[in-house]
Amino acid sequence: MNYIVLVKQVPDVSQITGNAFNPETGNLNRGALPSIINKLDADALTFAEKMRQVSPGKIVCLTMGPPMAIDVLKYCLSRCSEDAVLLTDRALGGADTPSTANPLAFAVRKIVRDMFNGSEDYVVITGMQSVDGDTAQVPPQMAAELKIPCVAYATDFEYENNSFIFNAIVSGGNQSIKPKQFPCVITVASFEHQLFPTFNRSRWAERTDVNSWTADDIKPTSFGFPGSRTKVTRVFPPPKSARRYKHVGDINAFIAELVDDFKKGGTASKYVPVEREYVLPLNRPDGPLDRNYEATNKDIEAFNEVRDALIALNINDVEQIKEEILDDVKKHLTSDIADYKLKGILNGFKVVEPTYSGDVWVIAEHEGEEIHDVTAELLGKATDLAKSLNVNVGCVLAGYNCGDLPKQLISYGADKVVVIDDKMLEEFKPGPYKKAIIEAINEFKPQIVLSGATPQGRVLTPMIAYGLDCGLTADCTRLDIRDNSSLGEVGVLMQTRPALGGNVMATICAKDSKLQMSTARPGVMRKLEPDPEREGEVIAFNTVLSESDAGYDITKTELSEGGTKLTTADIIVSGGRGLQNRGKYDSILRELVSGLENKLECEVECGASRAAVEHGFIGRPHQVGQTGTAVSPKLYIAIGISGAIQHLIGIENAEIIVSINNDSKAPIFTHSDYYIVGNAEEIVPQITKALNM
Amino acid sequence: MTNSQENYNHVSVLIVGGGPAGLSAAIALKGTNKDIDVVVLEKGNAIGSHNLSGAVIEARPLKQLLDEFKPEWEKLPGADAVFSRQVDKDDVSFLYGGKNCQDMTLLIKTAKKLKLAFGDMDNHGNHIVSISELTRFLGTVATSLGVEIHTGFGVREVVYDKEKKAVTGVYLVDQGLDKEGNRQPNFTSGEQITADIVILAEGPCGLATEDLVEKAGMVRASNQLYSVGVKNIIKVSDDKYQSFGDNRVAHTLGFPLWGPVSGPAIFGGGFAYSNGKNQIALGIIAAADWKYCNFNPQRALEDLKQHSFISQYIDKGEVIEAGVKIIPEGGYYAIPRLKGLYGESTIGCGNAIIVGDSAGFVNMRKIKGLHNAIESGMIAGKSAAHCLEKPNKTAEVYTEQIDESAVMTEMMQAKDFRAIVAKFGQAVGMPLTLVSKYLPTFQIEKDYQAMTGEKFQYEVDRAFDKAAFAAMTSTEHREEQPSHLKILDHNICNDQCADSFERACITFCPAGVYEEIENETVAANPSNCLHCKTCHIKCPFDNIRWVVPEGAGGPRYKQM
Repeated sequence: MNYIVLVKQVPDVSQITGNAFNPETGNLNRGALPSIINKLDADALTFAEKMRQVSPGKIVCLTMGPPMAIDVLKYCLSRCSEDAVLLTDRALGGADTPSTANPLAFAVRKIVRDMFNGSEDYVVITGMQSVDGDTAQVPPQMAAELKIPCVAYATDFEYENNSFIFNAIVSGGNQSIKPKQFPCVITVASFEHQLFPTFNRSRWAERTDVNSWTADDIKPTSFGFPGSRTKVTRVFPPPKSARRYKHVGDINAFIAELVDDFKKGGTASKYVPVEREYVLPLNRPDGPLDRNYEATNKDIEAFNEVRDALIALNINDVEQIKEEILDDVKKHLTSDIADYKLKGILNGFKVVEPTYSGDVWVIAEHEGEEIHDVTAELLGKATDLAKSLNVNVGCVLAGYNCGDLPKQLISYGADKVVVIDDKMLEEFKPGPYKKAIIEAINEFKPQIVLSGATPQGRVLTPMIAYGLDCGLTADCTRLDIRDNSSLGEVGVLMQTRPALGGNVMATICAKDSKLQMSTARPGVMRKLEPDPEREGEVIAFNTVLSESDAGYDITKTELSEGGTKLTTADIIVSGGRGLQNRGKYDSILRELVSGLENKLECEVECGASRAAVEHGFIGRPHQVGQTGTAVSPKLYIAIGISGAIQHLIGIENAEIIVSINNDSKAPIFTHSDYYIVGNAEEIVPQITKALNM
Repeated sequence: MTNSQENYNHVSVLIVGGGPAGLSAAIALKGTNKDIDVVVLEKGNAIGSHNLSGAVIEARPLKQLLDEFKPEWEKLPGADAVFSRQVDKDDVSFLYGGKNCQDMTLLIKTAKKLKLAFGDMDNHGNHIVSISELTRFLGTVATSLGVEIHTGFGVREVVYDKEKKAVTGVYLVDQGLDKEGNRQPNFTSGEQITADIVILAEGPCGLATEDLVEKAGMVRASNQLYSVGVKNIIKVSDDKYQSFGDNRVAHTLGFPLWGPVSGPAIFGGGFAYSNGKNQIALGIIAAADWKYCNFNPQRALEDLKQHSFISQYIDKGEVIEAGVKIIPEGGYYAIPRLKGLYGESTIGCGNAIIVGDSAGFVNMRKIKGLHNAIESGMIAGKSAAHCLEKPNKTAEVYTEQIDESAVMTEMMQAKDFRAIVAKFGQAVGMPLTLVSKYLPTFQIEKDYQAMTGEKFQYEVDRAFDKAAFAAMTSTEHREEQPSHLKILDHNICNDQCADSFERACITFCPAGVYEEIENETVAANPSNCLHCKTCHIKCPFDNIRWVVPEGAGGPRYKQM
């Protein structure tokens, strides 16, 4: 077996300080930040080396980036990789995920041809996501381009009878996955004990030439900004954290304050409803010259100013706007608008019809007989969007023996449910799901497709978007319909998401796409009260699926028995690797849970960080975070959890966050309302004592 | 495949430590002979990460180094950081407690004219630099000349050949051990690197250096003494920065190290330098032979910040970086030397030589060592380049050259300044330094022996946050590794230190590494360590050993 390890150079976001980042403008001075290898990619390299120990072969590392990205290849060479490929070309720059995945896939093909002598016995291994983009889209999209299976969120593997079985995280449990054949793409969710460099290999790596390839060498079919299917409209600083970030010295005083706080409710920013509902230009009370729904305030102001100028010129109808009036308009302007911009604005007034047509769709996710919370939340959002656009809410449901799931979807707001019921869809596998949903979308042509940023959604949706050749924005925290009139776009979906580990926010919209796709984080959108009386249309849709669509077999799935109370409990007490072992996790958490239950008389559930689950402190269903469950309790207590971004994302909707860690620099502290520096074994008994007083 | 043919574990010249001294040596070596295979090992994650200084530099040796070996240096990226800020305002103030201070600048200028010791504090013509930035630039210069720099590799010990009286190489630290010292799956045993010539440029209290001193039987005529320097970089408003000045070097004496009651309690003083970009570099240097078990130089810096002389400039400012370093101050007699049969001596042993702060080339009258580090490195590089055929002569050639250089002239002039202060205290000692040539040579105790149960009288009881300080250094270590801070005998902590000195390390460690847990002194947070080694030199019972942790750990200074 040969191994291609895909790595990325990223800014070290843990080093973001006042110097590197201007919180007012939202501009990050990337030059001031050290560049490092994406941590999960380093894990992937270690994973590859461990696989190689049982199935020998060559390890080639591959990256795409500016010439300085050679550093991450040297990182790999100084550890275990034999060869390295740097894909660097200005033409490849400015790319979003599909136009990154495409050249990478073509580079993989060339590696296979040139370095593996055409042998198809290889795997592509990479981290599940990068810390800067954080989208997790490139690996599944690469798999889609290469038409090979994608095993997502691997945490380990076993090697039996000459074949690999990968352990992977799925919602609420673990799965053992056996690829039917190689090649395949494996994304690594975590792997410990990163390799160290040796002095010997480091010197060899310094002297070794890295293969530097350009677009011409690999001939990708879609790349750079022209190949991108999304564009960034705006970058801005994230809202100031409302967390209090209060250092706790006196435990007794703290408990008194906390109990009081708990009763009042905490500081977390709650769901912010849309300030102003979008109305299509032709339906606006002030007529189509009303351009108060542009993507940026700056544009709104510019349009308003030009509109006033037009009114002053007695122009009330978009039909009257002609190139010749430009000079007249200019005379009536108070501020200086560049000619090209003014032309854009004047042309913009002429665009009154929405750019996209079709319904607003949600890809349903379900666990057994229940729809996933995020699907209900997205239906709530889709209802808002569809109302603005005067269209219907649709939903596509793939599964087997779907029972009353369509009815549930309708009760949460779907007008139409397209049901694909097939034995091949009994268990989630990206291959057949992708194929079925793409066919349904092609048939019914919605204009917007939303999906949950769950472990499943983050693998499936990028593949669907790649198959449809349309833009996809991952992990949105906000979705609005707005105009980019001066660019000739009206009624488009503005997708806002955090980037760079939450240090900036970006508003993104689709480009050169026939429809607009987003995934949204669980717990962010607001679901509607289900209305069992609500009526809707259920449409059966058939497609031909075969075993070969699957690409792999699921040999074992371990899901929780009976489920956890993570999504309903008032208080969650979570433990991390800092608790060292299962025994300590059990005893410390049990003590605190019973203390809290007695004092506050409410439901308390145990949670855990991903690392704690990996170490066997507790089962996967208790994992809180991006690859686990997103939670929103009234009180969240994190013990011995340092605060990896994936964990923080999962707890951002908690009302009050308390963290206990002996590392005074634990990132979780700045995301907490109260933090205690110290050893959990000493602190927790003090807390329980204070609770019992 | 990899490297079976070539032995990458052998190098011609191995330089341990990628600070100003080591990089200067590398630049001089490669600049003299580009065919020599020169390797620099640096334990920090990157060049510059472990370098901290005031810093005001005397430019001559640096200019000489760059002009001689990289004439087109000004075109390299980062060159603007080097000589951008020439000192044009230079003042010294004596601070009384509270608000009062007295300008002593004129006194210093007069002293300079009279050629008195403290006249050397005059800084006109010098440049204010960030030593992290300067070191990174030297790294760029070295790399451009073909020097191989490998960061993230710590050296555990030197391999000494008793027969040949030479160093055959070094061992790197093991990587991939867990807290208990068990091998993890990624365990990588510390490689042996062999070298024809070894240059030790580890900075103050270098472990490989001390290993060589011990193994080769080198001696110091007088014990090495240290000071502890604590530094903040503070971003202030436009107005405040302008009122401070863009090219200013301000030094303070008196408060807070001199108490209103205790008088001249601790040798040292404060400094505030313009750092550009509306930043002020503020720091305090305190001699490590303080006798107060409750003393912590950081705390003193917090007090200094409150003095109106300083607070007028930094009020409402934001600390954007912080760090700590020790300074070797023992002077001429504390330079380690290997005595030969005929009374000659070498600063090194055969093919191994010691440069910069590792050797102790700090001029205490100027309180500067950076220029000497560069010059000694340059001399070391040139000497090594000429000794490749006969490596065992390196120490001899280097010592001959350095003894005749400006480095040693300065070291001679200031030879016992600091030692006299240590011996006689500041009140008596300072005047005595004026007549030092009439004093006999004397032995002084090590810094840790000075500790007493006495308490330093702080002017106000002020809490400050070590955790926040450590965070501003960006220090990090892999958590799962054996503690690199070894407490030799816990009984001493419990039976003696707890009662006599209240476990002084818990107080003086600037990063809050030490804690009392269940009546034991424990190095509870080794991952916060700033590699300053204060604990190694100041534990009152000499009961703590700082060893090199896994590579790439430690602070990540950006513009210290």
